[in-house]
Formats: sequence, C-alpha cells, structure tokens
Amino acid sequence: MRRLFRAAAVAAAAALALTACAGAGGSSDPANVSPAGEIKPREISWLLSRPADGAVINIMKKLAGDYAKDHPGFALNLITTPDRPSYIQKLETLAAANKLPELFDTDATPFAQQLAKQGKMVDAGKLLKSLGTYDTYRPGALDYQRFDDGSLYMIPFQFELEFIWYNKALLEKAGVTVPKSLDDIPAMCTALRKAGITPIAIDGQDQWPLERYVAYQPFREAGPELVQKLKKGDAKFADPAGQKTVQWMAELGKAKCFQDGFSAQGYSDAQNQFTSGQAAMYNIGTWELPSLATDKLNPAARDNIDFFTLPTTHGAVTSANEFVSPSGIGMAVNAKTYDPLVSDFLKFALAKYPAEYAATGALSPTTNVQTAVPANATPLYKKALDTANDLGSKQAMPWDTQLDPTTNGRLQQELVLLVQGNITPEQFTSTMDETIKQNAPKFFK
Amino acid sequence: MLPNRSKTSVLVFLLPPLLLYCAAVLFPILQSLFLSFFSWNGISDMEFIGFENYVRMLTADDIFWRSFANALIYLAICLVLQLGGALVVASLLTSLRRGRELIKTLYLLPAVISTVAIAFLFVRIYSIDPVGLLNQLLHWVGLGTFERAWLSDVNTVLAAVSAPEGWRFTGLYMLIIYAALIAVPKELEEAAVLDGASQWTLFTKIRFPYIRPVWITTTIMATTYGLRGFDIPYLMTSGGPGQSSELLTTYMYKTAFTSTDFGYASTVSVFIVIECLAAVGLILFMLKRKADS
Repeated sequence: MRRLFRAAAVAAAAALALTACAGAGGSSDPANVSPAGEIKPREISWLLSRPADGAVINIMKKLAGDYAKDHPGFALNLITTPDRPSYIQKLETLAAANKLPELFDTDATPFAQQLAKQGKMVDAGKLLKSLGTYDTYRPGALDYQRFDDGSLYMIPFQFELEFIWYNKALLEKAGVTVPKSLDDIPAMCTALRKAGITPIAIDGQDQWPLERYVAYQPFREAGPELVQKLKKGDAKFADPAGQKTVQWMAELGKAKCFQDGFSAQGYSDAQNQFTSGQAAMYNIGTWELPSLATDKLNPAARDNIDFFTLPTTHGAVTSANEFVSPSGIGMAVNAKTYDPLVSDFLKFALAKYPAEYAATGALSPTTNVQTAVPANATPLYKKALDTANDLGSKQAMPWDTQLDPTTNGRLQQELVLLVQGNITPEQFTSTMDETIKQNAPKFFK
Repeated sequence: MLPNRSKTSVLVFLLPPLLLYCAAVLFPILQSLFLSFFSWNGISDMEFIGFENYVRMLTADDIFWRSFANALIYLAICLVLQLGGALVVASLLTSLRRGRELIKTLYLLPAVISTVAIAFLFVRIYSIDPVGLLNQLLHWVGLGTFERAWLSDVNTVLAAVSAPEGWRFTGLYMLIIYAALIAVPKELEEAAVLDGASQWTLFTKIRFPYIRPVWITTTIMATTYGLRGFDIPYLMTSGGPGQSSELLTTYMYKTAFTSTDFGYASTVSVFIVIECLAAVGLILFMLKRKADS
C-alpha cells in the first residue's frame, strides 16, 4: 500500500518525463563499473541542466552520432532544463518516482549523497579509473564533485574559474584601486556610489550569486572546512568566522554595493549593467569569457575590462590563488540502468570529449588537451585561461551545493534581507543557526 | 420528478465526469491527507509520525504563519481589484451607449494572456534600474519621491505581486456581472425611478439584490482563485525578498520541490483545502444571513 502511494504521489509531476526517461534494466551494483555481456544498442537518456546550444550538449550530440554509426539503434536523448531550480525539482521528482534515466546531472548536494548511499549512482571514481582516464582529470575538477567523505559519484564536463571582473575607467573615476583585501570592498563601494557609479552588478533573482559572497570571508578566515562543519551544526554563524561574514555582508549592504532593486533583477540584467559600463564590478566565471573577453563585447567597454581573483584577508588561511573554481554540474550514472551499452558509450565519449571541448575555447576538466583561444578573443581571454595553471590546492565551495535544501533556501532569503538592511546581523545569525539546528540532522546525521 | 428512464440517462451521463472528478480532485486530496502523517523526502523510507507535521505547522513554523497572513492580504487586494473593479466597470458599461464591445474586449484581454508573460511584463513595469513604466509615470507627474524598487521593497512587494492577479481577472468578472446587470428587468428600474429613487438607491435596492446569486458565485470563484494564487507571485519574486511575498501556495511548492519534504508540504496543502472550504462556507453564511435580514 505504501509503495502504491509512494509511486502515485509523484506520478502526475513525473508523467511527462517518464516517457522520455524510462530506461532498460541493468546492473544495480554501484561498484560494478565493467558490466559483462553483449552491447545491445538502444536509446538512452541524459537528463541535464545545461544550455541547449552550449558546447557540452553540442559535443555530446556529435559524439553520440559518431557512436551510433558503429552501433545502429543507439541514440542519446538529451533532455535539458537549463534553469537550475526547475531542473532540481524535476530531478528530485524523478528520483522519488525511482525513474531516473541512464545519465543525469547533479551537484554534490546532500540529496545526491543520499541517492549515492542508496546505491542509485555508479561509483564515478572507479568508473574513470576503469576507463583509464582518472589521472587525466584536474584534481580540482574531481574534488568539486566529491562528497564530504571524499567519494566521487559525478563526472565533470567543465572547469571554470570565478573572478571579479571590473571596469578600470570606472574605478579610476571614483579614485579607487583593486581591493587588496575583502575588507576593502565596502569602502570601495562607498567611493563608487559617491561618484555616481553602481559598484557591483549582481543577478539577485537567481539567489546563488549573492550566496557566493557569504562563502568568501569564511573561506579566507577558516578554510574550506568551515562550511562542512556549519552545515552539520558543528559550527555556527554565531562563531567568530561566521560573525565575520555576517558583519561583512551587512557592511556590503550599508555601502550599497549592489544595484538598486537587485533582488528582482536577473542574469542578463546584471551582465548588461556591467558590459554597458554602468556597474564597476561583476562576479562571474570563465563560462562568460565569450561575452567578456572577445570582440562581441561593447567596444566602449572592451579595453577597460580586467579581472582580479578573490582578495585575501589579513591572517587568511587560504592563498590568493585559491578561490571558487567549480567544474560545473556533474553527470551521474544511474546504477539501475548501467549496462554494457552505457559503459561502452561512456568509454567512447569520455575519451573524445576533452579535445572537442578544448577546441571550443573552454577549459577542459582534464589536463591532456590544450584550450584553443578563439580568433576574436581579447588578450584577457588567455590571461583568464592561464590563471588555471597556477591554482592552489584548496577551493571555495559554493554554499548552495553544500547546505541542506531547507537551510539553503532560508539562507538565500535571509541574505537578501540582511543586505537590504531589513534585518540586523543579530537577527540573521539567530535565524540561520536555528534553521540549521532544525534541518541539518535530517540530512547529515 | 424525472421519469425512471431519464434518471438512468442522467446517471449515465453524470457518472463519467464524476469519476474523472474523483480521480483528479478527491483522490489527490485524500492522498495529501495520507502523506501529511508521514515524514518523507521522496527517496527515503516513509516514516509515520502522526500529527507531528500539524503540530509543527501550527506551533513552530514562523514562515507558515507569515505566508498565511500574506495570503489573506493578497486575497483582499485581489478581491477589491477583481470584484470591486468588475462591479464599477460593469455598472458604468450598462449606462454606456457606444463602444461597449471594445471596452469589454480590452478589459477581458489580460485574462487570455499567459501568466508567464504577465509576470515578466510586470517585473519590467515595477523595475527601478532600468526605470520601469510605474516609476517613470511617478516621475512625470511629480511624485518622484515615491519611486522605488517595488519588488525589492519589503513594504510594497506583496501589493505589487497582488495587483497583476487582480488586474488579470477584472475583465472576466466584469463580463459575468455585466451579463447579470443587463438581465435586471427594466420595468422594475423604471418603477423605482418613477417613485423617486436615486441612482444609489436604484443600485442598492434593485440591481444588487437582483444579481445577488451571480455575485455569490463570482465571490466564491474569486476567493478560491485568490487563495490558490501561485504562478504570478512565484514567477515575479519567488516569495521574496525574504518571506515578504511568500504565500501558502508558494511555500507549499517550495517545501515539496525544493526542500523535498513531501510530508510537510502535504500538511500545508491540506490546510489550503480546509482554508478554501472554510472561506466558501463563510461567504455563503454571510451572504445568506444578509439576504435573510
């Protein structure tokens, strides 16, 4: 009876996706990465959250086509939902209905970790080792996909570096220089505001960009481990490292660092503000290189744009060359539908993918290929790519992939209120510590 | 009394839609009721926890009460705009000699536009940077001090997300009320005018009592639609900033599909069902009492 209700509870929401995602049965042992048997071509599906015309999808389409030439009957059905919140809801609904397709995207979230613990995902570490490609991956690209216990269940398809892009002319106009410390930013914002310039353009609607900022001070103050303790309730916002970030966020708000009405403005609004020369700074990753470091950029702004990496702080425990360097949403392999065909296709695709991806001008998650700088790139493009050669061993993890979903949602809401000055740092601290106390045990203990 | 054969015909024709209704409406409600007694995140085993979700919702969830209060304010704004606006426009239309069809069409137009388009349209209208239509209008008429980021301001966001919903359905209710108003017998109105009734008396003593059954129906429709309001607020602000525009429906949705707490989300959804039934009961009770008096 329970199973009947369980299945029916999600049936309506999952109905459309089911038709596209239903797969054949196969191995269910997550550690069995080399299933024996005959390769029987069929259509397999990849539920993914990537831009429909982006490099990853285009390359995988091409590789699937190449594979199908030797394996008639094979097809890769790509089902993309680029909007991340909608995608996560779709993924969770399908997981609840036990109808995940052969391949699916996910971050290393607590929810994904539960799926892995239930044996629903193939051990990606073992899989990559069995394919002989594990050692070609950048350690940082794999580390980004790992769960807290070091286990690896997702395969990266990207490698990105997040910078603070800035407009040299606007900084000069306000009489400020690139900040030496994170603590310099509020004063810098005040000076920029005085000069009539919006200090930082931010996509407030999607919430994750503001959540990046809350991760910065703790990463410098206490290293990448702090969020792992905080999310389990073993550290608190009331502790010194937590208070440092709470006070800093409040200061950013007081100094009016972000554009007016930022919480209702989207990704393209923020990008337009920066590229049109209205805002002085913009925190975004190398996935935006084609917009920020090629001749597509507004000529008036092109020569004035540069970037700096995450500033350090006095007494920081992490280095200047350590910052947010994500390898994007990872791809998980469904253990239930993993069979000789899926295994063989992944072997084929993952061997050819890095070279194809690097040829598009993007940083590959592996080190065995050289990224081709596009012909229309500005010198900044190569400078950004070269930064990847000098990365430290620690990386700042985005908190939205770390916290349990309820705490994450509440943090995103409370951060806006804190930065807008609607609540005090004390209210923020007590609300968040209480939220973690209530919700973390369900996910982490 | 229908003859036997007709009763059979009625039963035969009523049964399929009734079964469909049970499957599409009653079964999911019962299912939500069942799930509300469990703790379940979609992938774990379902754990029976009795009334724990209800106790949590009613005694320990500040967001739930905030969402409930917001939903009532949202409903009030929608009702004023939809029913009040509809009644005024419909009354004015009855005394209009030309251009009725054009005005009816213009008022009805928003009801046929997709909610996604409406949400994006109003996000632009309320914008401060770049300056949207509303702030521009305020500037032009010399009320520049009222310019603000309507959707980011915790004091204005709830009204800002309610207005598009109210605006959207004013035309629909206006049409229903207009149809009722033109059905009021002319001889009744003429007799009242001959007796010296003013326009206000004519409206309150003749027209409104005559259209009361239609008014009850539209009030119930508008109330239940308002209590279920979801898409426009969710698309415009996703309940933010903070919980300033969080409604019970958006909270329920996030609890289920973001927090993956399906048991607790079902508890909130059961509350929404009870709330809608209570609202309809209250409307019928109040209007019946008024009619009786």
